[in-house]
Amino acid sequence: MSGAENVSSADPGDQLASVAALRRLADQLEDAAVEQAMRAGWSWPRVAEALGVTRQAVHKKHAKRLIAAGVELRRREND
Amino acid sequence: MTSFDTYLPAILEQAEREAQRDGASTFEVHHLLLAISAVGEGTTTTALESAGLNYQAIQEMFQREFEHSLSTAGVSLASADLPKPTPGPGRPKVGTSVKLALERSLAAVTRKKDLHPAHLLLGVVQAPVGTVPRALALAGISQAELLAGIEQVLADQK
Repeated sequence: MSGAENVSSADPGDQLASVAALRRLADQLEDAAVEQAMRAGWSWPRVAEALGVTRQAVHKKHAKRLIAAGVELRRREND
Repeated sequence: MTSFDTYLPAILEQAEREAQRDGASTFEVHHLLLAISAVGEGTTTTALESAGLNYQAIQEMFQREFEHSLSTAGVSLASADLPKPTPGPGRPKVGTSVKLALERSLAAVTRKKDLHPAHLLLGVVQAPVGTVPRALALAGISQAELLAGIEQVLADQK
């Protein structure tokens, strides 16, 4: 979609619910994609840059979960 | 201790498990409704079953609401195909929609000791907007009738 005008309902309840659902989906996709990238050997800085957030932010949000999942975490590309 | 004092922690723990299964970092009101159904206290089960709702039906109606809300923005769940992430080790936090449901439950009684398990269900189903009324509407279930059913089981307790 290219803008809010493409949301296929004029009802504010539908529009707000679609925002809530998209946030939920985006969170699920981020968790899955970060895990995939780290399993594939990506470093924190690279994942952070790809997501457009700071390294600290991505580390804070995902490190505990990935450590518990047994994923090897790399600080740099050549670790 | 009233029965509600033991019921509420059991429900909150179950709602955390429901959220963890979803990979969610917070538990929301739809997790609470799933938890109420999973724990299966007698009066709440009666009220839910009178509307044709059991655990599986509740799961399906929330999944349908999620997919419907995404489709409003032109997004299909099938197009977002990635492996399921590993759930986090921490406990999910209480979501805002859960706090609001608890406030509605508390507002339904004048004395806290009068709280009954069905008041929790009442607070969940009374949500004026959000996933609960939307999921019910999409499933063709009348929110007003479900509320009347809950009021009835509460009246029967007196």
